[in-house]
Parts: sequence; structure tokens; C-alpha cells
Amino acid sequence: MEKVSALTKDEIATIDNIIKSNRENPGQLVKVLQEIQSQLRYVPLEGQKLIADRLNVPISKVYGIVSFYNFFRLFPPGKHSVTACMGTACYVRGAKDILGEIRKKYKVEPGQTTVDRRFSLEVIRCLGCCAIGPVITVDGKVYGRMKPAKVKEVLEKYN
Amino acid sequence: MNIEELIKIRDEYKPKLDRRMDRRPLTKDDTRKISIMMCRGSGCIASAGEENLYKIFDRVIKKHNLQDKVEVVPTGCQGLCEKGPIVVIHPGGTLYTRVQGKDIEEIIQKHVINKEIVERLLFFDPVKKRKVVSLYDMDFYAKQTRRVLHNNGLIDPMIIEDYIASEGYFALGKALQMGQEEVIEEVKKSGLRGRGGAGFPTGVKWSFAFKAKGNQKYIVCNADEGDPGAYMNRSELEGNPHAVLEGMAIAGYAIGASKGYIYVRAEYPLAVETLKVALDQARKYGFLGQNIFSTDFNFDIELFLGSGAFVCGEETALLASLEQKRGNPRPRPPFPANEGLFGKPTVINNVGTLSNIPLIIRNGASWWSSVGTEGTKGTKVFSLTGKINNTGLIEVPMGISLGEVVFDIGGGILNGKKFKAVQLGGPSGGCVPAEYLNMSIDYESLKEIGSMMGSGGMVVLDEDSCMVDTARFFLEFDKDESCGKCLPCRRGLPLMIDTLTKITEGKGKIEDLEALENLAKGIEKTALCALGQTAANPTLSTIRHFRDEYEAHIIDKVCPAGICAALFRTKCQNACPVNQDAPTYLALVKEGKFEEAYKVIRQTNPLPLVLGRVCNHPCESKCERGNLDEPIAIRHIKRFVADYAYANHFEYNPQSKQMRDERIAIVGSGPAGLSAAYDLVIDGYRVTIFEALPAAGGMLAVGIPEYRLPNSILNYEIEQIKKMGVEIKLNTHIETIEGLFSKGFKAVFLAIGAHGERKMDIPGENLEGVYWGVEFLRNANLGKQVELGKSVIVIGGGNSAMDCARVAKRMGADVRIVYRRERKDMPAIEEDIEAAEQEGIKIDCLSIPIGIMGDGKVSKVKCARMELREFDRSGRKKPYKIEGAEYVIEADAVIESIGQFPESDFLDDDKIKLAKNRTIVVDQRTLATNMEGVFAGGDAVSGPLTVIDAVAAGQRAVSSIKRYLRGEALGPIPEREDHERYQIPFAPDEDPQEKPRVKIKESDVEIRTANFQETTSNYSKEEAMEEAERCLRCDAELS
Ligand code: FES
Repeated sequence: MEKVSALTKDEIATIDNIIKSNRENPGQLVKVLQEIQSQLRYVPLEGQKLIADRLNVPISKVYGIVSFYNFFRLFPPGKHSVTACMGTACYVRGAKDILGEIRKKYKVEPGQTTVDRRFSLEVIRCLGCCAIGPVITVDGKVYGRMKPAKVKEVLEKYN
Repeated sequence: MNIEELIKIRDEYKPKLDRRMDRRPLTKDDTRKISIMMCRGSGCIASAGEENLYKIFDRVIKKHNLQDKVEVVPTGCQGLCEKGPIVVIHPGGTLYTRVQGKDIEEIIQKHVINKEIVERLLFFDPVKKRKVVSLYDMDFYAKQTRRVLHNNGLIDPMIIEDYIASEGYFALGKALQMGQEEVIEEVKKSGLRGRGGAGFPTGVKWSFAFKAKGNQKYIVCNADEGDPGAYMNRSELEGNPHAVLEGMAIAGYAIGASKGYIYVRAEYPLAVETLKVALDQARKYGFLGQNIFSTDFNFDIELFLGSGAFVCGEETALLASLEQKRGNPRPRPPFPANEGLFGKPTVINNVGTLSNIPLIIRNGASWWSSVGTEGTKGTKVFSLTGKINNTGLIEVPMGISLGEVVFDIGGGILNGKKFKAVQLGGPSGGCVPAEYLNMSIDYESLKEIGSMMGSGGMVVLDEDSCMVDTARFFLEFDKDESCGKCLPCRRGLPLMIDTLTKITEGKGKIEDLEALENLAKGIEKTALCALGQTAANPTLSTIRHFRDEYEAHIIDKVCPAGICAALFRTKCQNACPVNQDAPTYLALVKEGKFEEAYKVIRQTNPLPLVLGRVCNHPCESKCERGNLDEPIAIRHIKRFVADYAYANHFEYNPQSKQMRDERIAIVGSGPAGLSAAYDLVIDGYRVTIFEALPAAGGMLAVGIPEYRLPNSILNYEIEQIKKMGVEIKLNTHIETIEGLFSKGFKAVFLAIGAHGERKMDIPGENLEGVYWGVEFLRNANLGKQVELGKSVIVIGGGNSAMDCARVAKRMGADVRIVYRRERKDMPAIEEDIEAAEQEGIKIDCLSIPIGIMGDGKVSKVKCARMELREFDRSGRKKPYKIEGAEYVIEADAVIESIGQFPESDFLDDDKIKLAKNRTIVVDQRTLATNMEGVFAGGDAVSGPLTVIDAVAAGQRAVSSIKRYLRGEALGPIPEREDHERYQIPFAPDEDPQEKPRVKIKESDVEIRTANFQETTSNYSKEEAMEEAERCLRCDAELS
């Protein structure tokens, strides 16, 4: 496993706040993790230890959930997060070529972040925008009817 | 809240809805208030890009001070997502597509103020090839039955009063007046089956939970739509959220639950937001909460965001996830109806199921079940995606045929390509190929052919999808999503993937197919949950319906669709029946090295001058450049190169390496025969071609008219082949094959073509003035005078029919083609149909001649109109005569050109096996006939096909002949010479800019129809180089 840097003060504070605001509902482990994911955009390993401690559940349970659901990230993402849909509808309309173009042009593999930390790339399985596939998203914004030649045009909007 | 109050709200808001359903078209002096329904579905929002159309509408309307005359309503998904952003304007239901911010001023000015239609934004019907003004006239909508989706497009989903005005929450009110069991009975009676995929009867499920003991029960709405390519639930939630809430409340009442959960994917932010608003509003009105409708029924709903795990669509996994655990499935029983969420009796229903509940209760089970089939009642929402023109969200009655969905509602396949299959049920489902287009969509029929209803994702695949690759894609998906708890799934799926990967790399063995099937069945039986049990379905179903594609990978080492990259160099080369190295000669042309380019072409193509003119260029339809703008004009470049060599007397005839003694006889001098002769002499064999006609070239000489292929050009290439040592004996009929062997020939290749004429068999065919297509073309080509008269009818839709029509036109006649199907079904090359139309030839589609009349000589033709009904095996609709719809056309001559068959009768003496349609029966891979040493190929085997297919057959036959003469076993894979490779450096420049292909000049219609001169001209040097430069050089990228 890659080395994980210790948490910043801000990160600890964020995690603490989220745990605090969920105090009333014990057993809300998934919800706590979702909120942490949404705010920090990843769930640090150190943070998982903290959560396990504070909520008094075994760390294995926390890790089990984080690794099970696609929604959670273990590593800090780049400045902008790019996802490429590889669902069936997008796949038959050439999603592979779109993904290939992103990998080639930005030298980044799915699950990784570019060297300049500008983009991280994820592959997802259907966004529900299948009718306008192939689809990618950047920071949650959906771009439909993609063509390899359009990849750069879209990503260059994000600096 | 009570019923009286509800009625008051409905009646107050009803007029607003009625206005939006006013179908009467817009008139010049219309004073009705205008409603602009703007789709706010996720698809249309994404299509709108950075723009907020709603805000722009608002601004423009205020600017023109029209607030009182027009309303803008954001709606749920209206269905036609492909053409989004969609805006529908009532009254009249004008539908505008791909609306952008800059169009809005025009819409307001023209449509709202001047009451005029904005033509340019209208929907273009890809089937009927015309613009449609109103959605009521669109097949896309007209063939649907929108019940669950009725409110999508009609109401603002964020406004509860809109839902109430559309009879919303009346069902809940009514249910609470009924007994619990009465409600369950009604649902049972309706026949509603779970819309999530498994199709379990909903009422029965409810009655289990009703009977289960426990003071706490739960209703869970499964909105964890994980099936890729399916987005029905998303659209139902975004467009009509209250229907789901109402359905849940009714379900809660029926089974005795006070609490419900909606498990919705976090990836659906808009659906979540919509639900949150809806829940607030429903609570405010008292449809949720305590003492609903002043009864003692209490019910509330909580939202739960799923974190993205496909397996959570499975009931027990979903429950585990709801309990804040890893979403691992568990074995059943116990079933959730007895022991579900937190161990309590729980009903889990899909969004689509719940959306139907209010309809059933409000309108009654018998109304609801009035559509559908015996075992599958009601309607079903599908998301139609993939390679289809009208992708989108549709709702159809159960029992509709798959073909109607794909071709009528879906508008057919994108870019006129060939339909291959529909995948239903996603990674758990199976595919349905073309021969089942007439099949009724219901649970049982789909299951019977190895597919399933699934949740409603319908992904359409065309000729560009490889079925082996598709099977592997689904397995990869399942493997990634598998929870890993049980062994069959954890170990079995990777094993299957390995085997499939081997096959896609050309390393598969035929036994692998059986191994795959066994493994699949094993996993199906032993996996713990539905994910594993169904994971192998796509593989099984593709093996079942597309075994030939698997065999192509395994035996021929070919991926016909051009997907499995290990099996070819570039897509264009892969698509070419003779494997022409197009990327190399394009690159050479770009550098101005035309002679080298000619060499490359001629290495695998004996007839570049001919094929540069008449090839149907399958390479171009696979060209990657087509995804950017237009495919490279590969054929035009080939023609340029061939013409260049011709004009500059540059010859390249590969020399034979060694001389051999064996003599080989070829019967027929068409493209198949010439191609075989060419390859054989290069290998040093002595070849004699026997030709029955007075000219060599087969159909090239006598079937293709001068204006498409000048005789001088053809003869030049035949001379080249002769120069290499091939002997051609004209006017020579072969009596028996035995005779050839006794003359000392060691092997025979039968390439006799298909020159026999099929006839309509209608009265009057023996009148003077009736001609047969092939004979007519032959006479024209051989320069015989034909007296046609003024008006000519040509019967047929193939290439020969087009040729006949255009030749007749050049003879000065008025020509009309009569064809029994639709224009898009014509087998002729599109370019030739277009050229015929340009030349003023009329085409009567859906029409069939039923009699030719005249006094000794043709004077009239009686035709019957046809209509299309069910689909045939080719995936086209079958034409039938319409009773009584007959009409008469005046005509001086009739040319029948409806098909050809080989004149193969003489082969009977040698006992060579022939099929019913007189084609020669061969082994498809080796082209061996049943007689030793005798091979056959081209039209004589396949029936009329293309020139390049015939050339390829000649090459395949040579491969077999060589093996035969060497005494080796015949193999399925043709031997290919290793040609010297040109290394052409390729510097990938920055991104290719969009740039259409360089157009070729066609001569003026007036001039070209007046004579038989070649109609298309050639690229200039500069044009050819410019066009070649557009090539993306896929060869360089892949090597
Ligand atoms: S398959 Fe890509 S959005 Fe659905």
C-alpha cells in the first residue's frame, strides 16, 4: 500500500464535525463516510482510523465499506475529477476510444491522478445519461456525445 | 387533507394542464396562452452544456413583456433524449430539438409572437426523411402508450399541485377507503409483475408481507439503478416523483408498514434533489406523516443514498447496505417478506413497479390490464440506447414486437448500418438477434430465447459491435462488481474471461465454446446470488445466437466487426475482403509516391482500375475518420493511383518465382476467375480461363455499363493479366468437368458467375418490349441496338436494376423503377441509387407489377401497392399486396431485373452438388466442391454479390488449390503472401481538425445522360494528396 501522509488539522476538524453532527443517529457509518467523501473528496486511511476510534467500530469494518462501494476514494484526487462512463450504452458507442484519448493525451490511467495533479481519472458504470453517450463528467458536469477529438476541447476548460 | 380538499386543488389547477394538452394546432390569430415545456431531465441538461435555458427563456419573455401570454415549465424527461435539449410548445405540441440559448429569441419572436413554426429546429424523421411539426405526428410518440410517463412532459415535477391536477394522490385517498386485502387483491388482479427484472407478481409479494407477523414492517423502493445503459428509474424519479411516493404509501397501507425507504444512487443528484422537494411537499399536504387522509394510517419515507455497487440491486444486498453494512448478499430463504430490513417483514419494489400502483388503484385493475399479453400485462418503460437513431425513454404496451421498438419508435440504426442485436437485461440478460424482431416483448418469450425483460435497458448493437467482445465486456463488469463472497463467482468469472480473451486474441480453440458453456452452467447453479447466477447469461446467449462470430475468431482468426485489435492491423484493412493495405497506400499517396502506392495496391488486388470505380468500399464504412467528420475517400484514391499508373504507362506485374508444370483450368473470366488466375500465375502455375461469351470479364464486361466502367479500362487490366501468362479462351463452352481433367488439368476453379435471369412470372411477360436485365445490359454493352420506345419501367432494386434504368435513360427513355420494398431496403449501392435519382429516374417504392398488358406489344403495366408488415430474417419488413390498391402505368417497354442465378445445369452431369437456387455448394472456408480437385467461388456460389467479394473468392480458391496440389490438407485460413512493408514515418500532428472529404466532380446531369461517357471524374494529383492527408494513420498508432 502506498504511503499515506498524516491528516492535516483541517481534515481532522472536518471529520470530527461530521461525526459530531451524526451523533444522534448511531449506526450511521455509511452516511458519515459519504459526508466525508463529499467534503474531502476522499476518505484517508488515517481518517478511517479516526472514524473507527470515535464511532467505536473495528477499523476492518470501516475499510470493508470504503473498499466495497465505488463511491469512496482512498487517495486524494486531482484538482478536477474526470470520469469516463464505460456502461454498456456508452461502450457500444465508442467509450473505449474516449477513455483511450484521455489516457493518451493526459498520461493518466483510471484510478490515478496526472503528474501535475490537475486531473484524476475514474471509470464509472453508467450515469443514466445513456441516450447521449459516450459520456464523460468533469467535476460532476456531464458532457455527452463525446468524440475523441472533443476530449481536449472539454478538458482544457479546466485549469 | 381530505378528498374534498383534494378535489378543490385539482379543479383549481386542472385548466392549466388542459391547456398543455390542447392538440389543436397553432393558428395565425391564436389567442390561447402558450406553454413552453422545457425538458429538465439529466440528459437534456447535459446537452445544454453551460447554458441554463430556463433562465434565458425567462429573460427573453420578460424583455418582450409576455409574462401573461406564455409560461415556461421545466418538465421531466420527455423521451427523445438523443435530440435534446427538447422543448415542446403547446397548444399543438410543436417539438423543437437541440435547442440552444441563441435559438430562444427566435422561438419567442417567431413562435410565440408571430405564431409561426421555427422550421430549422423541427425533428427530422430518419425513416420518412422529412421534418415533423407536432409530436402527435411523430412515430416515436404515436407508437407509444405513455401511462407511467404521462406526466413526464406535462407537469413540473417540483410542483405538487401539478401532480394533483393530474389526478395525483386520488389513488391513495381511494385506497385508504378500501380494506388492506382489497387493495392487495386489486393489485393481484391487475397482473402487475415486478418491473425491476425478475417479474415476480407484485400483489403476491405484498400478500406475503401482509400475512407475515410483526408489528414493524417496511416498504423499500429500489432506485439503485445499476444496470448500465438503463435510466428508466432516473427519469421516473426526476419527472414524476410523487407517483413513487404515492405508490409507496399505498403499499405501506396494504401490508401494514409505517415506514418506507427509498434506496437511490448517489450518482443521480437531480433525482435526489427532486425527491427531497417532493417529500417535503407531500408531508406539508399530509400525504405522508400521521393520520393520512384523516385515517389512522401513518406513513413516512426516508431517503437513503446508495454508494454505487451493482450488487446492491439484489434484494438482500440492498437490505444489508440499508443497514449500513457492506452490501453482501445472503442466501434466501428467509425471504425479505418475512425477514427483511432489520429482520422485519419488508417489501422491496422497483421504482417502475411503484409508479404503476396509483394507476391501478385509481383506474381499476381491469383498465390497467387492458393492454399487454396473456401473461404480461400493462406497459413497460424502456430506455432505448446504443446504435439507434432515436435514443431515449419510451413506454410501450407489453407484447409489442421488438422490431417495432427498434425501427418504428427508434427510427432504425444509426448511419444506415446493419442491425445486429438488442441486449436486454444488461449484464444479467441476453441478446436478441435479427431473426426475432417479430417476437413479442413479454417475460416468457424473452426467456425462451435466452434473454430477459430486465429492468428495461435496451441497448441496440449494430454491425460494428463484436459479440465475443460484448460477452467479455459483461463478464468484466460482473467480475468487478462481484462481492467475492462465493467461490463460483470469484473464481469462475475470471476463468471465463480468460477463455474469452484468448478467443478475441485468435488463440481460442473450438472446444473452448463447450468449456465456456459448461462453466457458465456451473456458475449459474452454484453462485450465491443473482449477480453470479446470471453473470454468464450474455456469454451463453451470444454463443447461442452468434456462434458464427465465435467461429470466425477461433477458426478464421478474424473479427468481422473490427473490434478485437489483436486480430487485425487497421479497421479499413480488416473490412476489405482482400485485405488491401489501405493505410500504406494512402500514406504513399500523401507523399506523392504514386508508383509505390500502385505496387502496394496491386500486391493484393489484380484489378485496381476496375475496383477504383465500382467497388462498394466496405473499408470506408469502418474508417475511423468517419467518427470525426467523413471517412477517407479510399476508393477515389485507389482510382487516382490506378489511373495515374495507366496514364503514365507504369506497369507492375509481380513476377512468378518459379515455373511449375501443373495446369489449372478456370471456368469463367469474371472477377473471381481473373483474380484466381492472377494469383496462380504469380505462383508459377499454368492457367487457362474458359469463357463462354465473346468477351472476357464476365459481369464486369457485360453487366456493368460503359458510363460506370469503360471497356477500354477493363480490357487494359485483362491484358495485363494475359501478359503475365494467363491464357483466355473466348466463346468456349465447357461440356463436362471430367473432360478438363482428362485434358490434363490438375485442378478446376468454377467461377461461372450468375447470369441466369429470375423472372416475375406474371401475365404478359412474353409481349414484345419485355426485356431481361442481364440480357439487356449485355446487348447494350456489346453494342447491339435495343428499341425501347419512350417510357420504360424497370423492375427491381439491386445494382443491375439501377444499371438498367440508367442505361435506358441514356437511350433517351423516360424511366421509372418499380420496387416492392422501401427505398432504404434497396440492395443497390447508395451512390448508384442517388445517381439514378439525380438523372431524373423516378422510383416507385412499395409497388409490384402484377401484369403486363398490350396488344402484341407492351403498352401498360398494372401494379399493386404494397404495405410492410412483419420482419423477415434479413431484418427488413416483409411487403404484402394491399387488396384493391391497383394502378396502371403507361409503358413502351419493361425491363425485369429482380435477381440472377448461376447457369449451372451443365454441372449436373459431373454430379457436382447444387443448391435449390442453382448455386454451387462448397465448403465456405476452403471453397471445395464435392468433386475432388474442383473448387468454386464468386456469384456462382453466393448468388449476386459484389466485385470485391468475387476477387476475394478467387484468392481463397487459389489458396486451397495450392494446398490440394501439394497434397496438403485444406485449411480454413487463406495463405497470404508476406509483402514487403513500406515504413512510412508518421508524425502525429496536433489534433486533427474537422475537414470533410475532397469532393469528386460528377459530370453535369444533362450532359451525362446524353451519352455513355464515364460519369465520375478523377482526383487531380493535388486533390488526391490532400485527401490522403486526412488519413488518421491507425496503422502507425497500433504498431
Ligand atoms: S451507459 Fe454511459 S451513461 Fe449509461
